[in-house]
Amino acid sequence: MFSLSLCFQVDNSSLTGESEPQSRSPDNTHDNPLETRNVAFFSTNCVEGTARGIVICTGDHTVMGRIATLTSGLETGKTPIAKEIEHFIHIITGVAVFLGVTFFILAIVLGYSWLEAVIFLIGIIVANVPEGLLATVTVCLTLTAKRMAKKNCLVKNLEAVETLGSTSTICSDKTGTLTQNRMTVAHMWFDNQIHEADTTEDQSGASFDKSSVTWLSLARVAGLCNRAQFKAGQDALPILKRDVAGDASESALLKCIELCCGSVRANRDRNKKVAEIPFNSTNKYQLSIHETEDTNDNRYLLVMKGAPERILDCCSTIMVQGKEQPMDEELKESFQNAYMELGGLGERVLGFCHTMLAEDQYPKGFAFDTDDVNFQTDQLCFIGLMSMIDPPRAAVPDAVGKCRSAGIKVIMVTGDHPITAKAIAKGVGIISEGNETVEDIAARLNIPVSQVNPRDAKACVIHGTDLKDLSQDQMDDILRNHTEIVFARTSPQQKLIIVEGCQRLGAIVAVTGDGVNDSPALKKADIGVAMGISGSDVSKQAADMILLDDNFASIVTGVEEGRLIFDNLKKSIAYTLTSNIPEITPFLLFICANIPLPLGTITILCIDLGTDMVPAISLAYETAESDIMKRQPRNPFRDKLVNERLISIAYGQIGMIQAVAGFFAYFVILAENGFLPSKLVGIRLNWDDRSVNDLEDSYGQQWTYEQRKIVEFTCHTAFFVSIVVVQWADVIICKTRRNSVFQQGMRNKILIFGLFEETALAAFLSYCPGMDVALRMYPLKPSWWFCAFPYSFLIFVYDEVRKLLLRRNPGGWVERETYY
Amino acid sequence: MDLVTLVVFGSWLAPALGSAFGREVIASAENADKDYDSPFEYDYESLRIGGLVFAVVLFVLGIVLIVTKKCSCSSDKPRPKAPDEETAVPIAQ
Repeated sequence: MFSLSLCFQVDNSSLTGESEPQSRSPDNTHDNPLETRNVAFFSTNCVEGTARGIVICTGDHTVMGRIATLTSGLETGKTPIAKEIEHFIHIITGVAVFLGVTFFILAIVLGYSWLEAVIFLIGIIVANVPEGLLATVTVCLTLTAKRMAKKNCLVKNLEAVETLGSTSTICSDKTGTLTQNRMTVAHMWFDNQIHEADTTEDQSGASFDKSSVTWLSLARVAGLCNRAQFKAGQDALPILKRDVAGDASESALLKCIELCCGSVRANRDRNKKVAEIPFNSTNKYQLSIHETEDTNDNRYLLVMKGAPERILDCCSTIMVQGKEQPMDEELKESFQNAYMELGGLGERVLGFCHTMLAEDQYPKGFAFDTDDVNFQTDQLCFIGLMSMIDPPRAAVPDAVGKCRSAGIKVIMVTGDHPITAKAIAKGVGIISEGNETVEDIAARLNIPVSQVNPRDAKACVIHGTDLKDLSQDQMDDILRNHTEIVFARTSPQQKLIIVEGCQRLGAIVAVTGDGVNDSPALKKADIGVAMGISGSDVSKQAADMILLDDNFASIVTGVEEGRLIFDNLKKSIAYTLTSNIPEITPFLLFICANIPLPLGTITILCIDLGTDMVPAISLAYETAESDIMKRQPRNPFRDKLVNERLISIAYGQIGMIQAVAGFFAYFVILAENGFLPSKLVGIRLNWDDRSVNDLEDSYGQQWTYEQRKIVEFTCHTAFFVSIVVVQWADVIICKTRRNSVFQQGMRNKILIFGLFEETALAAFLSYCPGMDVALRMYPLKPSWWFCAFPYSFLIFVYDEVRKLLLRRNPGGWVERETYY
Repeated sequence: MDLVTLVVFGSWLAPALGSAFGREVIASAENADKDYDSPFEYDYESLRIGGLVFAVVLFVLGIVLIVTKKCSCSSDKPRPKAPDEETAVPIAQ
């Protein structure tokens, strides 16, 4: 809090986002401590002047400290993908427990002892668990995170990779995120016309007509009546990247003039400064007197800049096309119109004027007194206006457009002025052409604001002070009914309230920001995105994702990758779950039909943790089936990762065919060895009995325990190989959910690699010498590999036909029941 | 005399019958026995070698596929990807 200040100005951009320096004075102008003039804040910068004051708060009690406490006190909820995986685990557990309990009861009914029944129960529940799935999901997310890192999007939290894909609302900060956070000259008014300047970061925009003499005078005044200068040793750097000593507006003018008219320093050296009156808030202008470069002319040049209305008052003539003309009403009118228009664009406008002081009154060597003004400051010649704005970043309008077409709502939340906020929102596309706020409609129809039907206004701009008075229902109402919203003059606490409001409506919210004032919102959001280069460390810490090159367009990349990985995880889970049925059914039939065990535990693990891993992970490399950026964001309540339809396909349809394939191979091998299927039913007790060494088969041959077991383990190996063979078909059909495989193509090389490796591993496990002792897996005769081929082909044909029906009848029964 | 023959024959038979693996190779001088047993003989050694060669070939092929940047030559009838699922005509089998 200040007791004394002298031309003291602070830059509050790290706290409120305002790029304009604010002047501070000892007067209490406002009740709100953030608005009043006699308080300065911890972590803001002083840009000019001196002041003396007393410290009123320290540490956690400062505004900054309170934001920090707010941020660290927030608990982050679960990410959407974590919720989906939890839901999926519930489904799997449900099925496992159901099967387990059913067969437990069945086992009891069939006469097994309690202990045996409990062992069966445990065995079935364990067989239901897809062991390799956790590794697969983690690897898929990691691959996506790596891909995003290549595009300069650093993801700090692995699950956040998918969250952007589910996002339905983006709340974006303005200063530094949507804008470049440097004041730039945007428009000029001279010769009775508004000219546009180039505000792009790399000077790629259109240039204006510089031929007019008025422009030369204007440039001269702007360059001379200016105390900013480039810091030393930067001649090699491009002009826009150089550091400037001076305030924001003067730096903007300096850079603009340097770009258009060449070295300002040289110009200043040629026109030496003799006296100056610096800017002060009472006069609202700045004035300096120079010697002209023309050595024959001994007159002094007086140049002046400041608030346009003050400058106009001091002027009696105006320069048009290089010639001085007396000021008339018409010109004053057009001046007013230009000023209104530029002000309405949210830009900061400055007026410029000059005059040549008459030689007789002010001869060479005249002592100009700046404290007690002894020279003329009226009857000057008005030249023109220049207006400045913090321009939007180049990639932002495009990115906002793409987010819009992807169905994502973009809201601007800033601490800056409503008018500037609205102007930038229009420039960026958050408020699109043709959409009006209630104030716009009122102005257009010339009726008071209260008479405008709120339903007509699709856009709205809400001030922070109004936000305080809104109840939760009113807030929900606004968020629901307006598609384009701008919140201005919001405090960090209010940003948090806005994010909570959106989340209450069921949206998944992304917040982008760069300053300390954004950090509570960044933490509370489902995903927080911070700027990497210009962001503060606090915001980078609170965020889940960092844009390493400050490119807002990377958010579009994030959305695309997020949606893609969600689809690919579905395919991967469908693939992995399918092999559960051919793993469980042998056990069930073993219990119920008393046949020798068709598939052992070690072979189950060889499938889940061995051969199925690479194909499941390879599905993460699949390309998108249709344009994912044209879809609406998924509804977190209805569009689940794993739903009943996926389970129905995986367990009920494809899984069953796979189980039949395995049993076919099993029966073929036993039949070739002499045990016809009819002989097998009920043989279990004798088969597993070590003491029975003369078990007779269908042909009367007698088998010892060891001989029988070798055949049984050969059957296990064959069942395992059959699962591998049908999983070839499964991975090919899981590649696509809607398109035919012929449309999608086999360009996923990792998938083909997976197929080769899977088969190589299966062959290795079967044929390697020593496997019969180590894992009890025996070499298979070549003909037995082909047992499962017809079923594999059947799976492929079945699913292609299903997808064909799905494409031909959108919305039909096939789609409703089987499209996952 | 008969007892001696029986004992000799029995001692020949015992180790053969007690073999742990399912291949009952009866080392009999009689050709008839050999013919009866031939359906039960299978060359597992060649099978193992053949199988292992197959596994190694596939493995190496997979690695080569990943390492080279060219399009794979064993892909399944690749066709240009349809731009839009609504306009694509499903290719009937």
